[in-house]
Amino acid sequence: MKNTRTGREGLTAYLFLSPWLLGIVLLTIGPMLYSAYLAFTSYDLLSAPRWIGLDNFRRMFTADPRYLSSVKVTLLYVGVSVPLLLVVSMILALLLNKGIKFLSGYRALFYLPSLMGASVAIAVLWRQIFGSTGLVNQVLALFGITHGSWVGSPGTALWTIVTLNLWAFGATMIIFLAGLRQVPAELHEAAAVDGAGPIRRFFSVTLPLMTPLIFFNLLLDTIHAFQAFTGAFVVSRGSGGPADSTLFYTLYLYQQGFAELKMGYASAMAWALVVVLGLFTGFLFLTAKRWVYYGDER
Amino acid sequence: MTTVSVGARPFFGRRATRNPLVIGLLRHALLIGVLIVMLYPVVWMVAASFRPSAEVMNSLGLFSKNYTLDNYKHGWSAGQLNFSRYFLNSIAITALSIVGNLVSCSLTAYAFARLEFPFKRILFGVLLATMLLPYHVTLVPQYILFNELAWMNTYLPLVVPKWLGVEAFFVFLMVQFIRTLPRELDDAARIDGCGHWRTFSRIIMPLALPALGTTALFTFIASWNDFLGPLLYLNRPEQWTVSLGLNSFLDVTGESAYGSLFAMSTLALAPIVGFFLGAQKLLIEGVATTGLK
Amino acid sequence: MKRTRTAALATAALLVVAGCNGTSVGDTAGGDTPGQDGKGDITGSLQLTFWGGANRAAKTNAVADMFIKAHAGVTIDRQNADFGNYFNKLNIQASSKTLPCVMQLQGRQLNDYTKRKVLLPLDPMIESGAIKVDDIPKEVVDTGRGPDGKLYFLPYGAAYDAVGVNETLAQQAGIGLPPDGYDWKKYTDWIASAKGKLPGGVFTSGSRGGVPNYFIAYQLANGKQLFTDDGKLGFTKESLVEYWEMWEKLRKDGVTMGADAQADEPEGAEQNFIAQGRVMTDSMPGNALTPASATLAGKAGGQKLTTLPMPSGPSGSGNAIFTSGFAIPTNCDNVPTAAAFIDFFTNDLEAGKSFKSDNGAATNQKVLQAQIDDPALTALKKHELELYAEIVAKKPPTILYPPGYQATFESAYTRAYEEIAFGKKTVQQAADSFFTEANAGLGG
Repeated sequence: MKNTRTGREGLTAYLFLSPWLLGIVLLTIGPMLYSAYLAFTSYDLLSAPRWIGLDNFRRMFTADPRYLSSVKVTLLYVGVSVPLLLVVSMILALLLNKGIKFLSGYRALFYLPSLMGASVAIAVLWRQIFGSTGLVNQVLALFGITHGSWVGSPGTALWTIVTLNLWAFGATMIIFLAGLRQVPAELHEAAAVDGAGPIRRFFSVTLPLMTPLIFFNLLLDTIHAFQAFTGAFVVSRGSGGPADSTLFYTLYLYQQGFAELKMGYASAMAWALVVVLGLFTGFLFLTAKRWVYYGDER
Repeated sequence: MTTVSVGARPFFGRRATRNPLVIGLLRHALLIGVLIVMLYPVVWMVAASFRPSAEVMNSLGLFSKNYTLDNYKHGWSAGQLNFSRYFLNSIAITALSIVGNLVSCSLTAYAFARLEFPFKRILFGVLLATMLLPYHVTLVPQYILFNELAWMNTYLPLVVPKWLGVEAFFVFLMVQFIRTLPRELDDAARIDGCGHWRTFSRIIMPLALPALGTTALFTFIASWNDFLGPLLYLNRPEQWTVSLGLNSFLDVTGESAYGSLFAMSTLALAPIVGFFLGAQKLLIEGVATTGLK
Repeated sequence: MKRTRTAALATAALLVVAGCNGTSVGDTAGGDTPGQDGKGDITGSLQLTFWGGANRAAKTNAVADMFIKAHAGVTIDRQNADFGNYFNKLNIQASSKTLPCVMQLQGRQLNDYTKRKVLLPLDPMIESGAIKVDDIPKEVVDTGRGPDGKLYFLPYGAAYDAVGVNETLAQQAGIGLPPDGYDWKKYTDWIASAKGKLPGGVFTSGSRGGVPNYFIAYQLANGKQLFTDDGKLGFTKESLVEYWEMWEKLRKDGVTMGADAQADEPEGAEQNFIAQGRVMTDSMPGNALTPASATLAGKAGGQKLTTLPMPSGPSGSGNAIFTSGFAIPTNCDNVPTAAAFIDFFTNDLEAGKSFKSDNGAATNQKVLQAQIDDPALTALKKHELELYAEIVAKKPPTILYPPGYQATFESAYTRAYEEIAFGKKTVQQAADSFFTEANAGLGG
């Protein structure tokens, strides 16, 4: 039965896909391939690219200590910020799901920081909060603790950006919330009738149904963390400082491409990242079979 | 569905004896505590927008003896035109982007989530791959492309990509949502004689409202806050968006107008907050009450 | 799989054929396109791009409108963005040969563009009389020249760095201002003498070894060359070490601010430390006096700020001027109108009065004098312009910034000093790695 259907279904599918396919062919693939080509060139934007083979990649791994330090900063950031973001978002999504007064008001307020985007106000504020005479130090001083600047020291600057990222956890939370809304109420009722407490219901009903979205958030938050740019750009004003302590991978890529006019090198960096993220994505999809439950599986 | 262990019998699970009032209060206290810390920066910005310009940057506190509306008056008429024009432009671009993303991404997502077709896995791989490349390196080729298409000084570079589902994030998001819906729904629809189009539009889309709401909201935020796109593609002041207007308050080589910046940033937040409040009532809450059968 | 790859390659090939493959922008440079001497009909549309915020945009627009009024048939599209984004956009526009006909540059980035032959030389337009330089001092015009000696942008505004002093704080400390003609030794001694005499939370000075322009002033005062003819570093490692050690001694003696507090400093003339009254003295752009004073006035006590020339040395004053001006790209299809606009913007008396030296003092001496003589000019602004006049009267040296100056020299310099201040490297190690990095990235 399946075989007779696939032909027509395939045609229908391509009809559904047609806007996206058009977009891929017209707008996406071209620039992507061109940037892949640029990765093997020396290109300063102002004159034509010149083929240099693997030189960009060679330089990256053997002759550029700043590149390696940006890799280190980024890995640390990914390792800390992604788990933190997922856990905090999930907890707040559960708290804000239902059964609480002023629900929509709370949600809106929690979401507010995520709406602000990478505004300059944030850049100014972050310095006012985590600066040497900032809010945090003023509060600490009440307890007799003195500390230097948090944004200004190479040892702590990265953590203020982790905080900034966490501060705008709204997007991740909203996806969890929307997912929670799709958990059929009947399942909860059935479980409650069976005498399952809230914690047990979470682990046996909610969590399994949420796995497609946990998977989504895990994958996307990781990709975004690897590509993190705005936070560090805004807080360090594009320098990645102090002393390269917030020099994220993409920030360094941006500096190389647009400030130093080494777009070929920047493209090479970008594609090296694509390879790593591709491996990570592939790995995650492989493990997904073991822990992600789709409603459409039979 | 079998994987969800709903029917598993708990041992003796009567733990709901705690006082609901106490739990409720604790929850509120926790939420409010976190909120105060989180929202301080936002509140600070709003308060600063009402302070006279000499005091804007001078204090970590919220209060001033001389609150004024000057920043709003000056800010609104700044730039080559004024913010009423910028707001209209931003609203137009954002609205077109949202509709485009909803249409193209939901169609694409339905195909990937529910249909079988040749090269499905490869195309899905392509979809994911487009998310992995940092956008900085496609900026230049894309600019060259749009320039060749003579799309400069039009909204096309900002809007057309949305209608062509270029942002894989949303497609993938919807795929994941749709896949949480049980297949039995489609089977039932097919038995009732529905084709794919009707299954998509009458069954899947209404149930995926939370996903659509999320997509609409994220698209709103992204388009509304987008700075680089308008900067590169819109050269005429009458096309300027709010984010370009905000940028014009800043100048490291001359004088910046932080009071006006904060005032207009506050106003720029209002439509997003409004949209969020509207969207969550309609889309996030709507479904839970109807449930799915 | 194989088929998709072939398709992908085919797409790439198509792109190349379609001309998306960025042929060199400079290919047409030096050709005999008509109008390269700036002569021709002043008409049609013109694109103008500059950096700056709403205030500057309003003033620039006023001038553009005056130009349109004087030349029927001209329309001007104006684009502006803040300094950083301005250059991003400019470079992206360059990649597809769509640079606006009138584009603003500084000497600091000029040679990134001359090296790639993106700009038209203005000399033929000066010879033909389309652009006039008669009222601009020679030293100032020369800041718009490339390594080949040709003029690539016409400076309309000249900025300079000055030593800012919070007079109120200096008086409180009982040390007054540094004496006239002070040198670096006297300046640093003067800073040190304020130690312990300032209110709590206020520092004598930032720890300023990481500011490129300060270092340039130090080298100029000592008569040292900054860059060699082929665009590499022209000063010795020893002089850099000596300079950094001077600042390090102040920091270690507890005279200046600590490294982490320094790294906190907000950007911009309205909110940096000198504007907030948190330091007694600092290097600052001359035209920052007005906005910084406005912020300072909002502080309790109404502190007063003034600017002094840079410290002198054996070779005299260390002041350099940093000009901004307009250039014309090779892809421009309306050179006569562009040339006329540039000339108008720089030399027209009414235009200059209306622009009010918003981006550095007017380079045209007549325009400058008219502004200084204007009774409506504020005292602070007058001080800014007069200090410029004083500096330019001493014929400051012209620095030829090599390609990569801003991207490589400035950022590497700042970073190297940060590494010293945070104890990651010794002064010697930082100087070594700075020399390696800068020489690799500069020139060539």
